[in-house]
Amino acid sequence: MIRFTWLQLRPQARVALAALFAFAVLLVVTGPHLAGLYAASGIIACHGGACATAASRFLSLLAITSPYPIVYELGIGLILAAPAIIGIFWGAPLISRELENRTFALAWTQSITRSRWLVVKLALTGLAAMAVTELLGSIYAWWADPISKAIGLQGPYPVTSEFGGGRLSLIIFASHGIAPLGYAAFGFALGTTTGALIRRAVPAMAITLAIFAAVQIATPLWVRPHLIPPDRTVVSGPSFVESAGMNLGNLTASIVPRQPGAWIISSRAITAAGQPVSTVPAACMPPPPAKPPDPGHCLGSRGIREAITYQPASRYWPLQWIETGIFLVLALALAAVCFWRLGRSRT
Amino acid sequence: MSFAVQAIGLSKQYGRRWALRDCTLEIPEGKVVGLVGPNGAGKTTLLHLAVGLLEPTSGSISVLGARPADGPEQLGRVGFVAQDTPVYARLSVAQHLRMGAWLNPGWDMEIAESRIKQLDLDPRQRAGTLSGGQRAQLALTLAIAKRPECLILDEPVASLDPLARREFLRSLMEVVAAEGISVVLSSHLIADLERVCDYLVVLVASRVQVAGEVSDLLASHHRLSGARRDASSLPASQEVIEESHTDKQSTFLVRTSDPVHDPAWTVRSVTLDDLVIAYMSRTAASERAYRPQLKVMS
Repeated sequence: MIRFTWLQLRPQARVALAALFAFAVLLVVTGPHLAGLYAASGIIACHGGACATAASRFLSLLAITSPYPIVYELGIGLILAAPAIIGIFWGAPLISRELENRTFALAWTQSITRSRWLVVKLALTGLAAMAVTELLGSIYAWWADPISKAIGLQGPYPVTSEFGGGRLSLIIFASHGIAPLGYAAFGFALGTTTGALIRRAVPAMAITLAIFAAVQIATPLWVRPHLIPPDRTVVSGPSFVESAGMNLGNLTASIVPRQPGAWIISSRAITAAGQPVSTVPAACMPPPPAKPPDPGHCLGSRGIREAITYQPASRYWPLQWIETGIFLVLALALAAVCFWRLGRSRT
Repeated sequence: MSFAVQAIGLSKQYGRRWALRDCTLEIPEGKVVGLVGPNGAGKTTLLHLAVGLLEPTSGSISVLGARPADGPEQLGRVGFVAQDTPVYARLSVAQHLRMGAWLNPGWDMEIAESRIKQLDLDPRQRAGTLSGGQRAQLALTLAIAKRPECLILDEPVASLDPLARREFLRSLMEVVAAEGISVVLSSHLIADLERVCDYLVVLVASRVQVAGEVSDLLASHHRLSGARRDASSLPASQEVIEESHTDKQSTFLVRTSDPVHDPAWTVRSVTLDDLVIAYMSRTAASERAYRPQLKVMS
């Protein structure tokens, strides 16, 4: 059954490996030059504060050096899209095509039980899906290593937004570490189960894409912030506003003091009594003819502080493990639905 | 006596619709059995239950004395060719044979390859580009080469042209002659089965209308025609299957084990076709009779 599963998977696997190979060629061609720029940037030998400067200089240079920004974003895009593509083209047709073309009557009357057929199909194709994603992630991580290192050294005030935020920022988190493996297993299981339930390949593909996209949007917004109870802090004093941590326009924070790389989940200005402040008091921001006072001092003297809810950067790996675990469990639950649906009393 | 297929009170329900209801039948082993019935009689459901693609809602079915698809061994004992003979369009003929070898411990590659060669099929050709007849032959090859004790075919020739039909049935008969296995094949057309079957089961609306050796059936059914008379005036030993009347004349199709001696009758033998159609239309007529009359509410 293993050999037969491979025989049936081969066309899709070939397409995936060809795409992977093309991307790898792009990375191998541009990689050494990127590493050369990194070596020449002085980051490797830097000490203390000079590192942040060197890293910023390196990233600023990259941002305007073709093709690095494009390859960087293409890589992230591919890693984010791979689980969806696998779900659509590997998962959705896996069972629905057998039902649609009625070949299930051929498959399930060979000398092999239906449950064994399903176990081997799901396990082998699912593992192949994860392997392809891991391969993509690994070659990309190798290529982007200088960029990742520079982002880490850049300090709390990045000079360029070309290369995203810290490791906990939404897109970087979802495209690095082990999270893509969880997404790949989930995407594949989602496609397979949707196909088994809907029994027609093309609608199953569309629905797989819709559900997968919805889950990928909902996860960082509503799930990931609460995987570990977030930390809270209240920051006050003029220094916070002055150090550009507080955005006067909407009174939100962009950094957490002494927590470089922290992921801010929510932030708002509050009064000394804890009441929310929605606008900067008029006295701190008079209309144009008048000369505005120092905003930090003005807000601080009125007792206005900033309340921040955040995940510290040190929780990167715990969050990665928990989220990956959740998606693997979801994948197994979907596989169980497949077994239930293909039970003999229901086909 | 052991049975190729034995069903007792077998029922299968989809939602509120009964695809097969309270079906009891016995199909003897070692014969080529034709399962005939109109579309919707439950033939496909019955055969899918027999190969374990379906599980009964109630009742039981056994094939070669065991529960269908009850483990790899039982699956290996039964070969199945499904309706419209599905195969994997993207896989080649040779890949299908490899699939058979991988998935069936009892696979006989020699049989498979010699059949492909005999059929003049290109092993490298994709199954999706085969003609209907070639595809059916490939499906039959897959079912035969696993060396089953019982071969079940669901309307295997329904979509084939007359020539492909004859070719298919001929190769089926060669296998039966060589291997001596039990065969059950269904069709809604008796003409397909006439040449190959030695046992016939007529299934209409989940019920077995008549079953028996083809030769016995032909010997025990007669068409009687003569002056007009009522069915009730016939002797009790003659079961009326079909009757038709004109002003002066009556024609009956009767089943009887005794010879018909009444000189008032012209006695003719029946064809298998006549016989099956008589049983099918009898059921249709009795269903009409039982249907409640609709009244227009005023």
